[in-house]
Amino acid sequence: MPAPALEAGGKETPEARLERLVDRVARVLPAQGPIGIFIHHNTLHAFESEDFERAVVAAAEALSCEPFLPEEEYRAEFRKGRILPRDVRWAVREESAAGADVAVLGRVTRLELRWRAAAYGIPDARGPALDWLLKETDVLRRPRPDVPPDARQAPLDEAGVAALWQACLSAAARAPSAAARAPAPAARHRDRLKAATGLDIDEWVHPVLIRYAGAYLDQGLARWALPGRARGLYACFLDLYSREWARHCGPWAEALPEALRRERDLGLSPAASLRGSLEALGVSEDEAERFLAATALALRGWAGMARQFERRPDRVPALPLPATLTEFLAVRLLLERVALAHAAGRLPGADANLSGLRERLGAAAPAAPAAPQPSGVERAWSLFHAAQLCGATAGELAGLSEAQAAALLGELESFGPLERRRALQAAYDRHLRARVCDALVAHAPARVPQNAAFQAVFCLDEREESFRRHLEELEPEAETFGAAGFYGVAMYYQGATDAHPRPLCPVALTPRHYVGEVKADPSDALVRWRRLSRRGSGRLGRLVRRLDGTFFGGFLATTVLAPVSILPLVARVVFPGLARRWFQTLPISREPATRLLLDRRPQAPPIGEFSGYTKEEMAGVVAGVLTGTGLAGRLAPLVIVAGHGSTSLNNPHESAHDCGACGGGRGGPNARAFAQMANDPAVRALLRARGLDVPGDTWFVGAQRNTCDNSVEFYDLERLPRSQEERFARVAKAFARARRREAHERCRRFEAFSGGPGAALAHVEARARDLAQPRPEYGHASNAFCVIGRRRRTRGLFLDRRAFLVSYDPSRDGGLATLEATLSAVVPVVAGISLEYYFSRVDPSGYGCATKLPHNVACLLGVMDGAQSDLRTGLPWQMVEIHEPVRLLLVVEARPESLERVLERLPEIKGLVDRRWLFAACLDPDSSALWLREAGGYRPWSPEAAPPSVAGDSAAWYAGRRDHLPIAELSRRG
Amino acid sequence: MTSLPSLRFCVLAALAGPALLLALLAPAGFLGRPWSERWTGRLTRAALSASFAALLLAALLYGAGPRKPVVLSLGQWFSAAGGFSFDLLIDGWSLAFASLAVAICGVVSSFSFRYLHREPGFHRYFVLLVSFVVGLLLVAFAGSIEVLFAGWEILGLSSALLVAFFHERPAPVDNGLRVFAFYRAGDACMLAAAVLLHHWAGSGSLSLLFSGAGAGLSRLGPEHVAAIGVLLIAAAAAKSALLPFSTWLPRAMEGPTPSSAVYYGALSIHAGCFLLFRAAPLIDACATTRVLAAAAGASTAAYAALVARAQTDVKSRLCFSSLTQVGVIVVEIALGWRLLAFAHMTGNACLRLLQFLAAPNALHDLHQLENELGARVAAAHEPPKAAGAAVYLWALERGFLDGLIDRRLVAPAARLAGRLEALDRRLCREPWVSGGAGEP
Repeated sequence: MPAPALEAGGKETPEARLERLVDRVARVLPAQGPIGIFIHHNTLHAFESEDFERAVVAAAEALSCEPFLPEEEYRAEFRKGRILPRDVRWAVREESAAGADVAVLGRVTRLELRWRAAAYGIPDARGPALDWLLKETDVLRRPRPDVPPDARQAPLDEAGVAALWQACLSAAARAPSAAARAPAPAARHRDRLKAATGLDIDEWVHPVLIRYAGAYLDQGLARWALPGRARGLYACFLDLYSREWARHCGPWAEALPEALRRERDLGLSPAASLRGSLEALGVSEDEAERFLAATALALRGWAGMARQFERRPDRVPALPLPATLTEFLAVRLLLERVALAHAAGRLPGADANLSGLRERLGAAAPAAPAAPQPSGVERAWSLFHAAQLCGATAGELAGLSEAQAAALLGELESFGPLERRRALQAAYDRHLRARVCDALVAHAPARVPQNAAFQAVFCLDEREESFRRHLEELEPEAETFGAAGFYGVAMYYQGATDAHPRPLCPVALTPRHYVGEVKADPSDALVRWRRLSRRGSGRLGRLVRRLDGTFFGGFLATTVLAPVSILPLVARVVFPGLARRWFQTLPISREPATRLLLDRRPQAPPIGEFSGYTKEEMAGVVAGVLTGTGLAGRLAPLVIVAGHGSTSLNNPHESAHDCGACGGGRGGPNARAFAQMANDPAVRALLRARGLDVPGDTWFVGAQRNTCDNSVEFYDLERLPRSQEERFARVAKAFARARRREAHERCRRFEAFSGGPGAALAHVEARARDLAQPRPEYGHASNAFCVIGRRRRTRGLFLDRRAFLVSYDPSRDGGLATLEATLSAVVPVVAGISLEYYFSRVDPSGYGCATKLPHNVACLLGVMDGAQSDLRTGLPWQMVEIHEPVRLLLVVEARPESLERVLERLPEIKGLVDRRWLFAACLDPDSSALWLREAGGYRPWSPEAAPPSVAGDSAAWYAGRRDHLPIAELSRRG
Repeated sequence: MTSLPSLRFCVLAALAGPALLLALLAPAGFLGRPWSERWTGRLTRAALSASFAALLLAALLYGAGPRKPVVLSLGQWFSAAGGFSFDLLIDGWSLAFASLAVAICGVVSSFSFRYLHREPGFHRYFVLLVSFVVGLLLVAFAGSIEVLFAGWEILGLSSALLVAFFHERPAPVDNGLRVFAFYRAGDACMLAAAVLLHHWAGSGSLSLLFSGAGAGLSRLGPEHVAAIGVLLIAAAAAKSALLPFSTWLPRAMEGPTPSSAVYYGALSIHAGCFLLFRAAPLIDACATTRVLAAAAGASTAAYAALVARAQTDVKSRLCFSSLTQVGVIVVEIALGWRLLAFAHMTGNACLRLLQFLAAPNALHDLHQLENELGARVAAAHEPPKAAGAAVYLWALERGFLDGLIDRRLVAPAARLAGRLEALDRRLCREPWVSGGAGEP
């Protein structure tokens, strides 16, 4: 309920202050909305104002997650050659700058010591584990087997190793050890209680809170709704759990109804109740933020979902209920107070007053365990390894003075596991960046077909890269383009068989136009029959849904319907491909013709401001895309405009595979609308008036490509002019062949597949329909860079489905307005995808939602692990397992000064680049020069290695290989 | 009669297939050298197909023959004083239940090959699934209470281990332990029934109890029948999550989706029903057991039907829907409607299996349904005014069974254990028991 923000004297009320505090706390919560519309975003959006390297470490600490991959995974990449010594050296030099050449051990510089420690590793062993290693293994008798070749002047014998160890021990003993930092005491009472007594009140509170939050936020999964939800999350809770029965929630909840009745009688607002709870718990105002953040993070998924209801009610699928984070926290703290009081009552010297509980617990419990100081042996252990890696001898170590030894040990401690991982991640990023830059520099711009046979525009999505490449290989006379896949048509769209409209545009835009689809001929018998059968099957489905939980309905369902359900069950589970083909042969599976209601109509739209577009608006949309992609002025007679989407079964994350530029929707309708606009003679007349000539014989065809089952659907073919039929037949044939080849390339990633292109197409079709398939497709996994420029700069390169490709023609963008528009539309989408994949991959169970296998759809809002858990956000392991967590490299075909000028106009994107959340480079439009943007300046790239060149087409390069492939120059490039 | 040896052979083959498979898979897992996914898949497919074919053949032979129950004795341990006998009882019901079980496990294993692809626990999962099949077959063909008990134990153990499949998180392990504890309560009843049966009847043969017309029951007094009946009902109730044991059922949803489907959707949940089903002559013979079984079934059905209405996640909703029908099936058995009960059991198993396997499809299904109807599926109704918020709370909190059990059973047991521990410590003065006021 809204409380006055200011007191009589003009001062801010405590409640208003608290609300502001809650707003700050909310930033650390996951910002994922309801799962039905999955929008990729930077998992650590709240930390974007800091440098990447610092932000991920700070976030990891605040959220108890991992900032980078485990050290061992990087090292495996190092052994594979995915990270080279020069990459690690580069990363260390970047980090330590001028300090890199300081000698730290005899002649060994800091650079040498650090890169070797990072690349080869210093095994982390402490205490008993180290004792075991020293006593039970031969580490002190044999030199390390993986010492870099240049470090080993003469192989150490057993005596040499022992002498080195003794020298390390004595050096470590000589140097005084640094004081260890004691961690701050935990903010929450629960943490201290758990440390002191082993009692975990979260185990009491969470089941109740999860059930209640689920019941309140439920979007229609349960048959019964929580009564009176309009009152708000907090008021509803007080009403429900103040009933006498609530004390049976557990032995701890004896006093719960009584406490809630007292709270209800006070008639407080949620913020006032929250303030009351903080007071009762003895949390002062200075530490309130830290305390509330820790409290909210204990069930971050549910707390974040409450916040989403508060901030983005438009994204809630069915019922935008009045829930706020303040209410959620108020409820949570009421439960915690009851639980703490119960737990405190069992402590010695029981005291009902909770405000001093933490201090009492602190006094009773042993002090929070500080990280134990490394013992002499532990310090000697890291020195022992460093010495071997750098080829230092026992004599050199013995010659160190006390101060030198201390400095060396300090050096090793300051480059611990976390710092090594940071350096390795930088090297990992850098290696891929170098390969991309090398390939782009070496690539001679492809020949542009004069008078292209046809042109095809695709979404910039990196999954379209392979399709475009195959299409070009098959049709050397064709040209392809990439653009943000909503094609400028930001609309609310409702298909002929859709129950309700949904937005199809990037999430940053709010559509103003509504576009509907209708059956072309509603009186057609097929249309009527289909409508009847759909309604019939819908009613039956609804009936079963209503019945099957009940006594008699369930009885009917299980005795009458079940025998009927057995055959489809077996068919779908055991033979998914076969079942799909059978269903397709049924006559009703043919879809009747439809058309879009694209023109402006006077009727009020069900959502948005206008029904349809005016011709003027259409001309604006068409002009935007034609100019942006560089199509204007060189249009072929036939232009295919393809959106994309993905269909899969048994996949709560289905929407995450759809088009990011359509806000997690399927972009076919946008492509179709765009084609219809561009074909409209009135629109073309307006375009001509703007100086943008669309030749009279040019025709646009909209299409939708399914990235999961590799189908392609062309729209409105009945309107195709006679003169285009022959040309279109050629297009259709090329697409049909390209989708088989592309399926084959995709299938190289699936261990379950081996075979040829025909089998591959059948395989991906079955995958999309298979209930048992947790990896219907790999989605955006392996995305790594984005090229904004003319296709000729990349055509003929095998980019392995890792590149977002955006068409942009710098030669016709004097004012840089097009580049600005392109960057501002594209970068947020691709950065969101890249960063979400990064975080879900480096910590699959912290930032991601771990394995899909036990996922349980809750409230139609998200997934839980198993029976009951926090709502899990991020991407599941099955989507990211083949992803290489690298930061995106954005290559723009422009002069450095042009890019810099545009970045100045786009402070948010510039900030991301400055703070290294993504990297940027410029490719000279007129030469093969390339500059990397580094620390605000542009450094010309000097190539390190030419990309492999392949005699043949894509298949010649990828055949028989499942791993990531290097970028290659294809000789049959189309 | 010529077909009898081959009927026996078929049943033995049906049992041997999964047992051999288990013997191949399990040691490899224990030795840390699991079979590859491909070979695990091939072997499982071969063994389950062979087992299913053998069962179908056995059913044909049985149908063509005199259709009399056949006892297949595999041997005896301790021949003195009745001893332990390993008997299999082959009749129409056991063949039907076994075929259903093997068919469903075959479908689920086919699902799981793809679903668990690249999962680190792939091999472990299949070891547990195959041991489940072995346990089910033993329960289906049990001719003596010893065999029944062995099968029952294997079922329980594999079930609890699958609940705790993702053992790197605490919740699955906690819940697995809880499921295991409830199962043990049922197992204790089963064991007590076995001991009493031996004591009173001098033999553990189940044909005494299970072969109809009460012929075998005449050797037992009515109070003996009642005691054994009550114990068997308790054992069945624990396995089938009847009241008051229902609280473990939603907690068992921690494993991979197909394991939830086969255990709590389809088969394990009906194992208790099958036991009652076999024990129907005994239930018929004694009014107490009949009333008790009917009461357990009816109250469970009513409980689960109410609770199912308020659950907001797919799997809880499904498991309570399934439990409702399990309750109804138990009532049908108590009323003596065996054929209906069996058909109902088959139907419930198949439908819930499908629903569980497709549970992650909930959003997709809903969108499709809405598009077919051309309107939103009416969001949930509020509970009827007469019932009101209190009933809703009761349903949402699953009848507060967990809280009641914590308070009435777990807390006293923990207190007792704490006292014993304190006593122990005072007596032994050993510092090795670390103190902790841990709430279980």
